[in-house]
Amino acid sequence: MTDPSLLDATAQAALVRTGETSAAELVEGAIGRIEKLNGELNAVVHPLYERAREVVARGLPNGPYTGVPIVVKDFDGTLAGAPYHAGNEALKEAKHVATTTSSLFRKLEGAGFVIVGKANTPEFGLMPTTEPQAYGPTHNPWDLSRSSGGSSGGSAAAVASGMVPVAHAGDGGGSIRVPASMCGLFGLKPSRGRISLGPDEHESWAGLVVRHVVTRTVRDSAAVLDVLQGYMTGDWYTAPPPARAYTGELGAPAGTLRVGLLTSAPLGLATVDAECVAATEETARLLESLGHIVVEAAPPALDDATLLETFTTVMLASLRADLATVESEIGRPVTAADMEPSTWASYEAAGAIDAGAYVAALTKMQSWARHAIAWWLDDGFDLLLTPTLCEPPPVLGDLTDPETGGGRLLPFVLFTAPFNVTGQPAMSVPLTTSASGLPIGSQLVAAPYREDTLIRVASQLEQARPWSDRRPAVHA
Amino acid sequence: MSDSFADATAQAELVRSGQASALELVDDAIARVEKLNGELNAVIHPRFDRARDEARGALPDGPFRGVPLVLKDLFAGIEGDPLHEGMKFLRDAGYRSDHTDELAQRYLDAGFVCVGRTNTPELGIVPTTEPEAYGPSRNPWDTSRTTGGSSGGSAAAVASGMVAVGHANDGGGSIRIPASCCGLVGLKPSRGRTSLMPDYTPIDDLLVAELCVTRSVRDTAAVLDVLHGAAVGDTVRAPAPARPYRDEVGAPPGKMRIGLLTHNPLETGEIHPDCVSAARDTARLLESLGHTVEETFPAALGNPSLVGYFTTLWAATLVYNIRYWERKIGREITPADVEALTWSLFELGRAISAPDYIDAQHATLGLGRAVEEWYASGYDLLLTPTLGEPPVELGTFATPDEPMLGFIRAATFVPYTPLANMTGEPAISLPLHWNGADLPIGVQLMAAYGREDLLLRVAAQLESARPWIDRVPPVHA
Repeated sequence: MTDPSLLDATAQAALVRTGETSAAELVEGAIGRIEKLNGELNAVVHPLYERAREVVARGLPNGPYTGVPIVVKDFDGTLAGAPYHAGNEALKEAKHVATTTSSLFRKLEGAGFVIVGKANTPEFGLMPTTEPQAYGPTHNPWDLSRSSGGSSGGSAAAVASGMVPVAHAGDGGGSIRVPASMCGLFGLKPSRGRISLGPDEHESWAGLVVRHVVTRTVRDSAAVLDVLQGYMTGDWYTAPPPARAYTGELGAPAGTLRVGLLTSAPLGLATVDAECVAATEETARLLESLGHIVVEAAPPALDDATLLETFTTVMLASLRADLATVESEIGRPVTAADMEPSTWASYEAAGAIDAGAYVAALTKMQSWARHAIAWWLDDGFDLLLTPTLCEPPPVLGDLTDPETGGGRLLPFVLFTAPFNVTGQPAMSVPLTTSASGLPIGSQLVAAPYREDTLIRVASQLEQARPWSDRRPAVHA
Repeated sequence: MSDSFADATAQAELVRSGQASALELVDDAIARVEKLNGELNAVIHPRFDRARDEARGALPDGPFRGVPLVLKDLFAGIEGDPLHEGMKFLRDAGYRSDHTDELAQRYLDAGFVCVGRTNTPELGIVPTTEPEAYGPSRNPWDTSRTTGGSSGGSAAAVASGMVAVGHANDGGGSIRIPASCCGLVGLKPSRGRTSLMPDYTPIDDLLVAELCVTRSVRDTAAVLDVLHGAAVGDTVRAPAPARPYRDEVGAPPGKMRIGLLTHNPLETGEIHPDCVSAARDTARLLESLGHTVEETFPAALGNPSLVGYFTTLWAATLVYNIRYWERKIGREITPADVEALTWSLFELGRAISAPDYIDAQHATLGLGRAVEEWYASGYDLLLTPTLGEPPVELGTFATPDEPMLGFIRAATFVPYTPLANMTGEPAISLPLHWNGADLPIGVQLMAAYGREDLLLRVAAQLESARPWIDRVPPVHA
């Protein structure tokens, strides 16, 4: 039998189905790898080994992933009976345990996945790097001195190092795509409304946040999207259902797609590293060699400063509202001592935002999104190609350095966050590496609700330039 | 002259078959507006010359080609036409729309000819149509009484026979309330069924739906067929119907399980016996048609704190709207520019924090989820009176010294309709009952999200079991 740490979830599930291995063996294997690697990586902050063993012993549902181990992020959803600390010291000290289970965790478990632990996250998912004071930094398996990205950096490190083939992730400004890019994974941010946040949540950060997974293979992301997508009773809004299963898009002819190429940062707010430009241009050439048409073009709206203003207002107001929930969980008002200084500064800044300003920001955000989306529909583009990030993975401590006052964050969200505002599907594909061997992702953004296009082209790219043989320095 | 009480479907057929021209229909409608408007004050911006020009020209070949229509003067702007939203501020500025929005365009693309824009309370806030800017609309059934609001101008125009279809929108009952007061059919569609582009505000995604008031169920169904569907930029998109809505009219509804609610779940006052009788009478009619009616309702609706959340959402949006019009006109709005209640709510709105708004929004979405679970547990419909009282006398909600008192008083009048705005579910008011004073008393049927098909099927069944088409108000064409 092949070492399961080298297999994706689809292949691991097949081993169980054919009887070559058992769920218990796969789960013990994953636990062993976490135990072995976590000291170096700090990817998993809440091991759930006993829970996992009990779940297996009770008998697993017969789903597409029966017996496959998975890690879920300690944010972007709750699991009844498991700790939920969101990278926050106050929740950690209160030893807070969730009492409800989010629908997407139910669906993952219903598909047969076995949750073996919860992964590290920056405090309340606010950073594109995973270095919470409460739990310490997650290290990048490709270079332990570097960031694994954020906010789903614990999940990405767990998958890249082979602990598990799939890990849950959430994305409110890039938090699926950023760590996917830094850790050499495939990260697909689905459309707004594709995966329900119910039953406890209705939307998060005014619709900026969507949830899914990071994976090593395109087929795993497609197949898990088939499991997770769809309306749940009472959802506020829902994406139009796909014409067929997303796994049906794998290997399907992509036709000739019209792709716009953008390699300079929106609003000129950062310099794009030459290696990131080169990587994106290489992806462009690869797309051309596959018969697609690539032209230098991008939605003009990306250079409209409204985007940044409204994103910030919505994010700050939402953070303050989320902290009201934390107050009810810890049973007292929050103070500066309960959170990191930068989070407290955001909390205080949010106090000045009144409802009228918030409503105005939502309205402007929607109006901006409409103009941005028009580029795909009116100008006849199928995809936008950009670097996922402006720089290769930064060293730990760089982005969180208080001296910079958050000024180092922008290069790691400028290309990703606009598509949280538009709600479009977008993905980071691990096609290239830097001269020093660090992963550099390319981002592709499709028209609204067109995950099918993304999966078709991702599967084409994966086949043309496979990445599954590349292994990081720290791997099981 | 064409029959003023022919519905839009019949009028369209006259044009299609060559029995009448678009211009004849439009001229007749204009004559009726001119005859009745002095008494009713339904149409505040006549559009007679443009309407005649359009009727003479090449109208779009839609299902309502040549049929006269009124648009409410709140949303549904047509480029170059006045849009005052019941505000003195916009009236005095002589404001005209600088673009045609998606909804108005879809009405025009269907072949409708707009003969005028109808009266609305200031910014659609109160459930009666008595703006200081344009004076009260009067109910064709009793001109001393309210037409309801906020689509009261459109309802008076349709009930009196000026036109067959009046555009209406509903953020707390503003389609269903005037439908009930004026004896019309008023369907508030599901959240995200009709496009709000490009004049989006966040409250629209949550509470507001666009459609019309009509005299026949088939007109409502056919108008929904031409209006529904998202445009680029709409976030909330209701699931597409399985077939055209007009096909639901006359389709067998099967045996439905229906909950009945006749007390006030928000505890904002007693329900008038006329309204309770209307709902109970309809319950018996539904049973006689083979449906099951049970005295039960989603428990989550029985929550007086919903009133506070609803007010928070509206007041915060009012702050946005006031600031929007300030920017557009280029002048600050002062207390002298708006009605006293508008100013009070504006001040209330300014004191609301962003997290309080988010809290109210999440509470609203939580209500929707809970009520949807009630339907999923095996119920098809919920039956209620549309209103808490028969159409009230004009002036009932005007309390100039304490403006908020009138707002609170209005909550007794409308204890049921805001619930469907908060849940996002479709709801329809049907003219199935008239009280001893010959005033229309509507009943409301609500359904699960996206199930306008069920409402239209049952509405058509009720319409044929107890037709209202021969009911004609004292003031009519």
